[in-house]
This record gives sequence, structure tokens and C-alpha cells, in this order.
Amino acid sequence: MNSSATLSAPPAPAAELAAALRANREQTLTQLYAHTFPMLRRYVQQRGGSAQDAKDVFQDAVVVLYEQAVSGRLTLTASASTYLFSVSRNLWKQELSRRSRQPATPLSDDHTQLPDTAATDAAPPDVTDMVLQHLAQLTTKCRRMLVSFYYFQQPLEQIAAEHQYGSIRSATVQKFKCLERLRNAVRPVFRNAFTS
Amino acid sequence: MMRPELERLHHIERHLLGAAPAPEWPLLQLLDADLEADTELQRQLYQGVYRAGQQQLRQELHQIHQRLYRRRGWLQAGTNYLHQLRRLWRRA
Repeated sequence: MNSSATLSAPPAPAAELAAALRANREQTLTQLYAHTFPMLRRYVQQRGGSAQDAKDVFQDAVVVLYEQAVSGRLTLTASASTYLFSVSRNLWKQELSRRSRQPATPLSDDHTQLPDTAATDAAPPDVTDMVLQHLAQLTTKCRRMLVSFYYFQQPLEQIAAEHQYGSIRSATVQKFKCLERLRNAVRPVFRNAFTS
Repeated sequence: MMRPELERLHHIERHLLGAAPAPEWPLLQLLDADLEADTELQRQLYQGVYRAGQQQLRQELHQIHQRLYRRRGWLQAGTNYLHQLRRLWRRA
């Protein structure tokens, strides 16, 4: 890394970062973004990439950071910003390597052909896509609750407060009701597609 | 107490996401013929919710990027425009 700015920042322990991400995701991510992205953009642009390339690899790295932090799998030996820069830089090196192996080719007629209908019909339906479709049909409250708990790993105390539940117990029951609604919506399709 | 259907979801969740396996799980498997299929379905539900979370996080990051840099983009464009006007004014 060629910047002293990130190295001079005191290392934030992973647990503190996870707590900050859970408590105030937007503010924590905005600070990390503003602190790290300009350096990464410069790095990528100096090595043949565009600002869009920098944005893509940086956001991939933030997703990795978030998931590792809240699941307790993150070990920080430097600042979160340094870690983020390092992951982004590795992703960009991988991308450069991929591009050198598969140079971009102009779109030919083949690329514009519609996929073969028979082949599409034969492909098994993607269950995750199916779940996503049904999840989108739940109420906003249910959807937010499930995503907040299972992906963002927000504590139930916080979820209960955000959704105005009187207790953690009420929030827990509501979370399972939402999960039940989703399961009931998906189950018939799942059984038809995968057990017949 | 939650109703039995919700308790069942809870048992499956503990089995799939819990740090330690639920001790009563082998017994439940013997007693409940649908347990295996429902456990697989619930695992798929978590994968779907996880994917939805990733999509939401990417959307939030996109919005943060827009907020941080779009305004600067406008400022930069405005400054460039003023410089251009100044150059034109000097030439005239």
C-alpha cells in the first residue's frame, strides 16, 4: 500500500467493528467508504482500471468485510480501512489476471442469440431465486425482519426496538411467523420441483 | 410458548444455525417423517434470505457511493465550467 493515511489509523478490533456495523450500518460503512475508496480508486486507475472497476472491487470487498465481521470470522491486525484496501487490491489483481486470460471480445451475433428454449426448460429451477421471489411478496416488515436477523445479524433487541415490539420474545415469535409464511409460500413449489 | 409449528421451525433453526447440535435431534428424526425434507427446505430459505441481504447491502453501498461522490462530480463539473467561462472571457 502506498498511502500512510490508512496505516496511521489505529487498528479497530474486529468485535468493535462488528458492533458498529450492527448498531449503525450506514454511518459505519459511509466512514469506511469515504476513508478508503479514494485511495483504492487511485490504485486501480494507476494500474489500468477505471473508476467503475474500482467501485466494483471495493464494494465486493466491503461485502466480504461485512460478512466476516458480523459472523465473527474476521481477525484485524491493522485498521479496518487497511484490511479493506488489501482485500480490494487482491480482488483487483484477480480481475486483472482474469482479463489477461480472457481478453474482452466484441459482441458477435452469437451473443445476441436467445437461449435455446428446450435447454432452458430442462434446467432445474434455482431454489434461491424462487425464495427471493417469494420473499419479495412478504410484507416489508417481515422481509426487513428476516434480512436484518439472518443476514445483517442484528441482535433481536435492536430488531424489537426498530419494529416497536414490546419484548425480545414478541420479536422472536414474529420472526418465526415471517419465516413460516415464507416457508409455506415456497414449500408447494419446492416439493413439486424437487421431490417429484 | 410458541405454537407447535413455530417451535418446530425453531428446532430446525437450532439444528442448522446453532453452534452445537440439538441433543433431541436424533429423536425428532425418528418421530417426524417430514423432518429431513423440511430441514432442507429451511436451509434453502436461509440461503435465499442471505442472498436478499447481499443484494440489499450492495444497494446500500451504491447509495453511499452516490451520496459521497455524485455531489463532488457536480461540483467538479461546475468548477470546470466556470474555468472555461473565465478563459473565454479573457480571450474576448
